[in-house]
Amino acid sequence: MRRPVANVFGLVLAAFFAFPTYWMITSALKPKGTLLTSGYDLVPFKVTAVNFVTAWTKQGFLSSLANSLTVTLTAVLASIVVGLLAAVAMSRLRFRGRKGFVLLMLVAQMAPFEALLIPMFLMMRDLQLYEHLTSLILVYFAVTLPFCAWTLRGFVNGIPIELEEAAMVDGCGRWGAFQKVTLPLLGPGLVATSVFAFITAWNEFLFAKVLIRSQDRETLPVFLSGFQTAFGTDWGGAMAASVLFTVPALVFFLIVQRKMVAGVTAGAVKG
Amino acid sequence: MTAVKTTESAAPAGSVPPALPPAVTGGARERRRGGAFDRALPYLLLAPAVIAILWLIGFPVVSVFVTSFRQLNLGELFRGEIVWTGFDNYAEILQDERFWDVTVRTIVFTVAVVATSVIAGLLIALLMRSLSPWVRIVLQVTMLCAWAMPILASATVYIWMFDQTYGILNKTLVKLGFDSFAGHSWFSSGASTLTVVGLLIVWQAIPFLAFSLYAGLLGIPRDLYEAAGIDGASGVQTFRAVTWPEIKSLLMMVTFLSTLWDFKVFAQIWVFKEGGPSGESTTLAVLQYLEGIAKGHFGVGAAVSVVMMIILALLTFQYLRRLLRTEEGQL
Repeated sequence: MRRPVANVFGLVLAAFFAFPTYWMITSALKPKGTLLTSGYDLVPFKVTAVNFVTAWTKQGFLSSLANSLTVTLTAVLASIVVGLLAAVAMSRLRFRGRKGFVLLMLVAQMAPFEALLIPMFLMMRDLQLYEHLTSLILVYFAVTLPFCAWTLRGFVNGIPIELEEAAMVDGCGRWGAFQKVTLPLLGPGLVATSVFAFITAWNEFLFAKVLIRSQDRETLPVFLSGFQTAFGTDWGGAMAASVLFTVPALVFFLIVQRKMVAGVTAGAVKG
Repeated sequence: MTAVKTTESAAPAGSVPPALPPAVTGGARERRRGGAFDRALPYLLLAPAVIAILWLIGFPVVSVFVTSFRQLNLGELFRGEIVWTGFDNYAEILQDERFWDVTVRTIVFTVAVVATSVIAGLLIALLMRSLSPWVRIVLQVTMLCAWAMPILASATVYIWMFDQTYGILNKTLVKLGFDSFAGHSWFSSGASTLTVVGLLIVWQAIPFLAFSLYAGLLGIPRDLYEAAGIDGASGVQTFRAVTWPEIKSLLMMVTFLSTLWDFKVFAQIWVFKEGGPSGESTTLAVLQYLEGIAKGHFGVGAAVSVVMMIILALLTFQYLRRLLRTEEGQL
């Protein structure tokens, strides 16, 4: 394809991908009276922050934001720690049954969680965790753990074992070598993995809806799904809440982009 | 203690030549000193993950099968009764005409969404190669925004864009001269609702597909294209002879992954119309929620879940077979 033609296609596609984001932000910025009119305004003439104030102070928004952050961060932290331990074992150590464990992680990663809704519900009820944020933490931990273990195994594989061996020759113990050499090099991998785990848990809706019924314990996706009850036809407020919901995910995404480009062990062996 | 250990484990290794080079003896002694702890270490490291997986994934998988053979409604749940009904739950759903409608709808929806997003992802990946750098960056950033947007946020925006009275889409269509779209409701039928839901899913699925396939395309050695150019191959010929064989396996992988993801979509379908109007946009994931949780027929809901799992397991099995074939050396 000739380049100018290709560029035109590319820009049209960019507009297609950007428009909903653009529309979310501009709708959130428009004053109340200008949204529900028949007027045609692709560009906002007047800009206001009042919708953000409405969303922020809306009954249930702050508590669901806090709940989402609590649940997501706890689950991701647990998966990263437990996943890293498993990843190191799978990638660095030789032992009987290793292949079986690797396969277990791979299969567990494919587990169709949505189809486990009913047994999970019954199990959390038996454990008296129904209506508790702990139940969501456990589910999100289970959803993200196999992925974390599997991905971190890849990142650990990517760090040459020779680096650790060199440190051990220089007098480090095995733990010292891991802590001083592998762990720092694993930084970008840990960040990338935890961001993807974060996004998964941040997005989750089905379990959040089923395991939590009371409004003061619900997470942001459930709060937003009821936006018509919360906001009525206040689309400006609903859009502002959506923007606030998107910001953490977007920030984390941009962090990974930069870290991924930086390359995990670029130049480590040369030095 | 070290000495004892050394002699102990040295005894069975009788076939080892007596005159070992010093370096090897040193290494062997190192290894033996770790002893029990070193041998247990991998299992200790793996224990938390394995316990969590068996408890939080393995047990529910067994439990969903067991539950599907029980009559478990709210009454039995509160009384703590266990009533076995054999295949009654399956008989109930399989004889229900609505269940078959829902299953067929789910499969058609999944195939349509996956096919559209994979083909579009591939075309965009191919297009990205011939873009000027700045256009490529603009496209990549916009795709990243679409990808990063939380599902509930993007669904809310789509509902607003497709709003009957004040939605920007209807306003634009009227402006372009299609007056019949004034006040057109996009959510008055199941097919129309699922089309909008499908568009939302495709829109968010393409970035992952395009980025992965673009990375795959960049990995194709340049001299293959030069060779094709010298041989005077046309664009289509080059694609079929050079590009296609190189990215075929990657394309299969992402197609499988997309199928797994799109088959069990719940959030998007639920927030648009809760499976409506009158159940016309209900898929299997929505059905198991409606039967199992909303109506409290846990046994019947579990039977629907089992059907979902069987379909997904067939797909997963295919996917794993391919994955293991390519990663065999790494395992």
